[in-house]
Amino acid sequence: MASSFWNIAYQQAMKSGVLVAKVYSFLHVTTNYLAFPAYAFGPSMIPTLHPSGNVVLAERISKPSRGDVVVFQSPEDPNKLPTKRVVGLEGDSVSFVVDPGKNDESRTIVVPKGHVWVEGDYIQNSRDSRSFGPVPYGLIQGRLLWRVWPFQDFGPIGPPTTT
Amino acid sequence: MRWLRYLNQWRGTAKEALEQVSIVAKFLCLIHVTDRYIISSTHVQGPSMLPTLNLTGDVILAEHLSHRFGKIGLGDIVLVRSPTDPTRMVTKRILGLEGHRLSFSADPLVGDGSVSVVVPKGHVWIQGDNLYASTDSRNFGPVPYSLIEGKALLRVWPPRFFGSLR
Repeated sequence: MASSFWNIAYQQAMKSGVLVAKVYSFLHVTTNYLAFPAYAFGPSMIPTLHPSGNVVLAERISKPSRGDVVVFQSPEDPNKLPTKRVVGLEGDSVSFVVDPGKNDESRTIVVPKGHVWVEGDYIQNSRDSRSFGPVPYGLIQGRLLWRVWPFQDFGPIGPPTTT
Repeated sequence: MRWLRYLNQWRGTAKEALEQVSIVAKFLCLIHVTDRYIISSTHVQGPSMLPTLNLTGDVILAEHLSHRFGKIGLGDIVLVRSPTDPTRMVTKRILGLEGHRLSFSADPLVGDGSVSVVVPKGHVWIQGDNLYASTDSRNFGPVPYSLIEGKALLRVWPPRFFGSLR
């Protein structure tokens, strides 16, 4: 009859709903506490990352340390998620050239407590802590672990390659 | 082979136990998602928000939706992850949004020596209501907007102070 059709439809909808909720919960826990995929693009991390785009895996388990490439929420724009390398931890003394296009004048800054200093591997075209200052730990979302795509560069993301 | 028979006897119990555990797990998931993304209760204490919040500790309800939609405004009491210690959360009031110009006195006990600052893009200026006993943006500077994790809604404990926070 009509009522039993709706009953069956309702039961099916409930079952599918529960399955969707379970899958979503599992994904939520995994991406928020373990690891998540990300698409990184832009010139600031050449040669570690391709400017035209990489699909990477980032993990949230370890505390970032010197030399890690991290994803963080930009202090300048909460909707942006830059990817840069941690060059200095709290307490470290970091020296950088203020305006490489103009002259060689450099400044030394001590990274304050609770913050890290990030810089892109391609200094010439990177907007990083030299522009927006040290980044609080609370903004760091994850550490880049592995590159998944392009396939010819499948592998771990490691220390900067010295030229 | 007797232990195999014992295992068989326990199979029914094990299945029931698994079902109960999965019900508890689902309930915990629901609580977790609500607590983290919708509304949660927090115990706040300290002198920095007197007289709005008590010194010895209040339980407040905070919602975690407004900051995702940019609906945080001037005068809101917000829960912010401390820029100096990422394991701590602080509760302060927003006194300046990006682009605002603020004057504050560097040391309120001394009185003079007023400093003027413009809140940079993507940041907010937070201050405790109790200027004399609060470590806030006057000490650690403007705070990136992304560090805001919740907005205080109302106080639920102690019961005689139950009500919305202003």
